[in-house]
Amino acid sequence: MGGHLRILIRIALRNLFATKLNLIIGGIILVGTLLVVVGGALLDSMDQSMSRSIIGSVAGNIQVYSAKSKDELALYGAMGSEADLAAIDDFSKLKAALEMVPNVKTVVPMGINAALITSGNTVDIALEKMRDLVRQKLEGRASPDLEARYQSQKEYIRQILRVLQSDLKKREVLVTAKAIEPENLAALDRAASNAFWNGFDRDPLNSLEFLENKIAPQSSDADLIYLRYMGTDLDEFQKSFDRIEIVDGRAVPSGHRGFLFAKFFYENQLKLKAARRLDRIKKTVVDQGKLIVTSTGRGGQPSEAEHLLKQNQAQTQEIILQLDKIKSEQAIERLQRELGSTEKDLDTLLKHFFDMNDQNFTRRFNFFYEQLAPLLELYRIRVGDVLTIKAFTRSGYVQSVNVPVYGTFQFKGMEDAALAGSLNLMDLVSFRDLFGYLSADKIEEVNNLKKLAGAEAIDRSRAEEELFGTARKVVAEATPGLIDEGKESNASLRALRREELLRRVYSKDEMDNGVMLNAAVILKDPAKIKQTMKEIESLSEREKFNLKVVSWQTAAGLIGQFVSLAKLALYIAVFIIFIVALVIINNAMMMATMQRVHEIGTMRAIGAQRSFVLGLVLTEIIVLGLVFGATGAAIGTGVVKWLGRVGIAAPNDWFYFFFSGPRLHPWLTAANLIAAFVIVLLVSAISTLYPAFLATRVAPVRAMQAEE
Amino acid sequence: MAAIVSLSDVIKTYRLGTVEVPALRGVSLDVHAGDFISIAGPSGSGKTTLLNLIGCVDTATSGTVLVDGNDTRHLSDRKLTDLRLNTLGFIFQSFNLVSVLSVFQNVEFPLLLQRRLSKSERRDRVMSLLEQVGLASHVDHRPNELSGGQRQRVAVARALVTQPQIVLADEPTANLDSVTGNNIIDLMKELNEKNGTTFIFSTHDAKVMSHANVVIKLADGKIVDGVAPGSVPLKSVAEVH
Repeated sequence: MGGHLRILIRIALRNLFATKLNLIIGGIILVGTLLVVVGGALLDSMDQSMSRSIIGSVAGNIQVYSAKSKDELALYGAMGSEADLAAIDDFSKLKAALEMVPNVKTVVPMGINAALITSGNTVDIALEKMRDLVRQKLEGRASPDLEARYQSQKEYIRQILRVLQSDLKKREVLVTAKAIEPENLAALDRAASNAFWNGFDRDPLNSLEFLENKIAPQSSDADLIYLRYMGTDLDEFQKSFDRIEIVDGRAVPSGHRGFLFAKFFYENQLKLKAARRLDRIKKTVVDQGKLIVTSTGRGGQPSEAEHLLKQNQAQTQEIILQLDKIKSEQAIERLQRELGSTEKDLDTLLKHFFDMNDQNFTRRFNFFYEQLAPLLELYRIRVGDVLTIKAFTRSGYVQSVNVPVYGTFQFKGMEDAALAGSLNLMDLVSFRDLFGYLSADKIEEVNNLKKLAGAEAIDRSRAEEELFGTARKVVAEATPGLIDEGKESNASLRALRREELLRRVYSKDEMDNGVMLNAAVILKDPAKIKQTMKEIESLSEREKFNLKVVSWQTAAGLIGQFVSLAKLALYIAVFIIFIVALVIINNAMMMATMQRVHEIGTMRAIGAQRSFVLGLVLTEIIVLGLVFGATGAAIGTGVVKWLGRVGIAAPNDWFYFFFSGPRLHPWLTAANLIAAFVIVLLVSAISTLYPAFLATRVAPVRAMQAEE
Repeated sequence: MAAIVSLSDVIKTYRLGTVEVPALRGVSLDVHAGDFISIAGPSGSGKTTLLNLIGCVDTATSGTVLVDGNDTRHLSDRKLTDLRLNTLGFIFQSFNLVSVLSVFQNVEFPLLLQRRLSKSERRDRVMSLLEQVGLASHVDHRPNELSGGQRQRVAVARALVTQPQIVLADEPTANLDSVTGNNIIDLMKELNEKNGTTFIFSTHDAKVMSHANVVIKLADGKIVDGVAPGSVPLKSVAEVH
């Protein structure tokens, strides 16, 4: 057959466009190659982009954690809860050992946990401020300024009460009176009465308690916020993950306790809801070019933007509650001017203001941020606030930690990626406190308490003698006053200690000497990841670290598997397409063979062996595959190049992460093209085996029979 | 002189479903080198079957067919193919040219299958034959650009290009008008006389028959008569038993 290749190829080339059947087969091969090239390039590009996202944001190249862990590490969260990892006690020892591995650049300690924090509702915040003022007054620090602030705050609280009252009245109209607790109604009436406020100055503390217990819970604007945070060596983290950038505020100073919000989380969880909704509308209108008003005239569903505007109109309370008397007046005045209205009711003005359309949206959006926002607290937690996080420790008790919020951060290229943007950062010391492991500070505190109580360590083996033996003196008589309860519970002392903790600077050793849950290993040469993982594993075995060593892909949990899953889906799709193609090509080739029985018979009659006929059919399909496959690959290359230039917009926030930015610019590798060719040629050849076999069975005598 | 083709008591039966259709019912025949034989008879008389058996594209149900000394019944497909390639040449009723190949390539095709000659040798051989059939100026034409007569000339050239001992032609003039048909027979006759190639062709056209030195008449699968046109005694050319 080999020596006949020239004539076989000549015949195949000439037959290429000779029949419709060949065009059908060619078309299938072309589309198939196109799909494999474009799909493969897209997935590979996405894979690389996502690996950049994952490696560059939190994972590093390799993650290590204790093999004793109950769950597997999932940096982006597992289903429902945080993974339960066993702690590694001594990070410094591990770090030193890991950094001996030649390919390891740095090791960053980490630990992920989550807590529910309550943002505190407006009433709570106002009352807390009031309590503070009352305390100052009671401590006798009276001044004209304090008095003025005190009176203003009082007025503000009365304003809030009026809003709550009118709100409740409105609800009364909507629902049956029974649905509203009469107790609530009575409490509100009492709180809003002049009598209550006339008596406030006489007994401010009890009055405040009444408001805190009976009124504050009635305001519904408090949120429970699910806060995911990662404790880490912030210095090391910012050095190792160069994609991080500080957006607001500043980085946590070296060695300090501190908290950094992820910008995405900060914007989406902590911002005033009305502002958040306006931002979202702006995104759909400006970035995606959609219209706000779509339903009018078409009778269709209201657009997302309209829906959001309706919510803003219905929920003006969160804005009104924030404004005291002076600010309310300012807001009314500004809104009147903007809207050209003489309306005096703030609620009505706001409803009118939020009734936006495509014409006035941009103007009102800017007005909101320029005129209204300065009167409001745009974020529930501001940069500079001290955040109190309560979390359950490993042993089950609730631990509370105060950390100052230094700012917000984001990962470059993933500003809008929901997945990368929901993990906040915290210093390692605070994390350890929250996690329930004794930090150096805690140990010192406990030791102080022990000393104060006269406790002494008792050797277990000598416990009996120590405790009951007669030889020993009584350590201390139960002298009253030895433990000064008043001193310990003194609020100002506690506050002082808190201040001190926040100011304290921790050394690198203190950071490293302690527990952590997992650690990111950054490599010098990321391509050698497999080998390095093996080296770390053997190191762990040798040094009894008992580590589990996983790649960034595994560490990312389900997210890391996303592209693998997508690839699997593509391959299954390709497989199905090619099974179909196989059947179609097979049938088409059978028909083509039938059509050529006369010709094949003639060749056989004039002396062509069966092997020649086999070669004839196979060469034709391979030439067909190469020509149409190459065309498909060329078109596919063009498509990928074009997509690479214009980019594919991420359909939603999730894809920002997979695309490592708002647009994916796919690129093509030689491997994509080779894979496409191999697949296409293989499928073509396989689908032609049976028709080719049939062709070899064509009897030479068919040449004698008249052509149909 | 030994016969180049020898048939003895050949029976060929086709099976159509459950019915057995006899095509040849005991044919014996010797063909000698240089013969120019016409097989005549009405359609269904077994002409094509006889040619197929001689041409090694079919085998007998019983009896022996010897082609160039080979008993075709005992040859493998590969051997039979080689025999067709090297010893036999074919001219078909409907020309059977490969439509995607040029005149030159069609004629060259058997030589490529043989893989014996170099490129220049092939070229010389093909060109000399195309000159003999008068188509030297049409080498690059495709079959569909030629008339029926021209196509059959190409087929004649292709049949002769390997310098076979025997050329078989099944109704070579059936698809041609009588003038063109006569020209083809004249061409075959000329080549027969010049090169000594044995020709066996079937026809039902009395005029065409008259060119042959021997006419074998078939009816119902049997030879009814061996007629030598003119004065050549039949037995000296083809022995009919």
